[in-house]
Amino acid sequence: MKNIYRPIESVIEDIKPETPTITTYRFRPKEPLTFEAGQFVELTVPGVGEAPFTPSSNPNVKETLEITIMKVGAVTEALEKMKVGDTVGLRGPYGNGYNMQDFDGKEIIIVGGGVGLAPLRSLILALFDNVERYKKISIRYGARTPDDVVYKDLLPEWAKMKNTEVLQTIDAPHPDWNGTVGVITVLLEEMPFDMKTAVACVCGPPVMLKFVNIKLLEKGMDPNNIYHSMERNMSCGLGKCGHCMMGEYYICKDGPVMTAAQVAKFEDPF
Amino acid sequence: MREVFITRENLRKLIGRWAKDFRVYVPVTFDIMNHEETPDYELVTDGVPETLMLHGAALATNPKSFLFYPREVVSKYPSSQAEADVTAPKAVIVGPRGCDLRGLKKVDKVYWSTEHFTEEYDDPFIIEKRRNTYIVSLDCDSAKETCFCTMVGGNPWPEDGFDVNLSQVEGGFIVAVATEKGEELMKGADDLSADVQKSQTEERDRRRNSVVEAINRQNHEFDTGVAYDQHDLEAPLDVWQYVTQNCVACSACNRCCPTCTCFLLVDQRAEGGYERTRNWDTCLSIGFARTGGGGNSRANLAERLQNRIRCKFEFSRDRYGLVTCTGCGRCIDVCMGRIDMREAIKHVVTEKAKARA
Repeated sequence: MKNIYRPIESVIEDIKPETPTITTYRFRPKEPLTFEAGQFVELTVPGVGEAPFTPSSNPNVKETLEITIMKVGAVTEALEKMKVGDTVGLRGPYGNGYNMQDFDGKEIIIVGGGVGLAPLRSLILALFDNVERYKKISIRYGARTPDDVVYKDLLPEWAKMKNTEVLQTIDAPHPDWNGTVGVITVLLEEMPFDMKTAVACVCGPPVMLKFVNIKLLEKGMDPNNIYHSMERNMSCGLGKCGHCMMGEYYICKDGPVMTAAQVAKFEDPF
Repeated sequence: MREVFITRENLRKLIGRWAKDFRVYVPVTFDIMNHEETPDYELVTDGVPETLMLHGAALATNPKSFLFYPREVVSKYPSSQAEADVTAPKAVIVGPRGCDLRGLKKVDKVYWSTEHFTEEYDDPFIIEKRRNTYIVSLDCDSAKETCFCTMVGGNPWPEDGFDVNLSQVEGGFIVAVATEKGEELMKGADDLSADVQKSQTEERDRRRNSVVEAINRQNHEFDTGVAYDQHDLEAPLDVWQYVTQNCVACSACNRCCPTCTCFLLVDQRAEGGYERTRNWDTCLSIGFARTGGGGNSRANLAERLQNRIRCKFEFSRDRYGLVTCTGCGRCIDVCMGRIDMREAIKHVVTEKAKARA
């Protein structure tokens, strides 16, 4: 019987700083490890522990995967001290990804906050692989300050893709910023889409999910078409350890991507 | 199901035979401070202990501990060293009660393939122990004052989930053999057993009914009028705050509960590299739901106790089709704040009814 707790050794192949606290790592697992956009993996820093992350790279690239990581705790701080060529562990993939087969012909609104754009990047790249299938890809991204913006070099490239737009905001005025100012919901006022069929994929800090959810419902979206990336502390990823339980749901198995309809019965699901 | 009668003396002999081929755990009394009998399991090493105790109610330790260890090495890395050892010795556990066996159903649901978890999610460590563990359960012939199995759909005798069950009758036990593993234990025991008399099965039924009556009697005051599998205990936090006022988040209830199956994986340095252990974890701990960024969906203790109790009555029911409070009463026995599951539920149900009125 397979040992579900065993990490797959994976070599760090590239390290790219995004912001002072956010870095993108590229890993090459020594055994096959593929995922669908939205699924997550458990990353082991040897001797320190594991933490769950959603890859940020294109799921159609099978040999390597990238994860964009913000330094917030023991595992991520230990990871920061590692170098190209060092070995970490990966387990997965776990959970449900986005229901991409349902996205065909629809307008897709991607709403990201801060490092929350990382898991969405995996989705965006997967959408770009078949960009003609979708009516529109509208990326709406908010960060606290210009320094906190991830994928600074990629965002302008994305804006050039067919049927794609990229809108950005930062939370407060800043001398280096000429664009929109205000929290992410300011980018959700103008939505020239068919709100009955449009799909939204949202990822960011819990408070952002809460207000984005309210706004998208206000705008007339179907709660079955709003996908949230739920943040919980998955220790096992296997639907056993209980850390990610929310009512009868295990976020690691029933999520991490969950629709607004699924979480509607909870007073404060985020 | 095959049934035979065995005398008390012959049962001791039979347990002695098992001990030659298995690790055998039996219930014994520990005479603490000369005033209290607290039965618990002991490994048979040198003959069946004189303190063997085959009457009373559920033991201190719940049998999940024989399958789901408080701490167990589940992986070793890097791959240059041998993987964690999955093998488990053949063991016989004598003494689980009906409540305990209902508890093991939850352990099975979480760790073994079910409609929720396909094979790729099987925990090889727990499954191997489960396969190699033989369950010899016992009827309860009395009730602790904290027993309430009959309030949560159970009975003070094992209904399923055992290999062999022992029911106390005058002079010995009715032995019910339920599985192939049970037959394996009873193989060659014909010299020790006899046919069951009708008067003996009648005696067993009488004894069982009297324990049911005792449990019903002592729980009369906790009746809520709501069926045990129909609870909706979602209530404003102040209702739960009242239940929580004496809770110090020690998590003793989590640890003694036969259906608390949560854990935390911990990595550390070990000889030859690193090892990963699976450790019991407790949802009453403040850090249980904390996330990397510092968020915590259950930062308040009342939210956590509410989560624990609702998990037993609602979340497990909705996910696994099992109410996972088995009425064993252990969480009441161990609570230093004297929080009583039965009172807690009664309080919440009563307050919700008041709010509706």
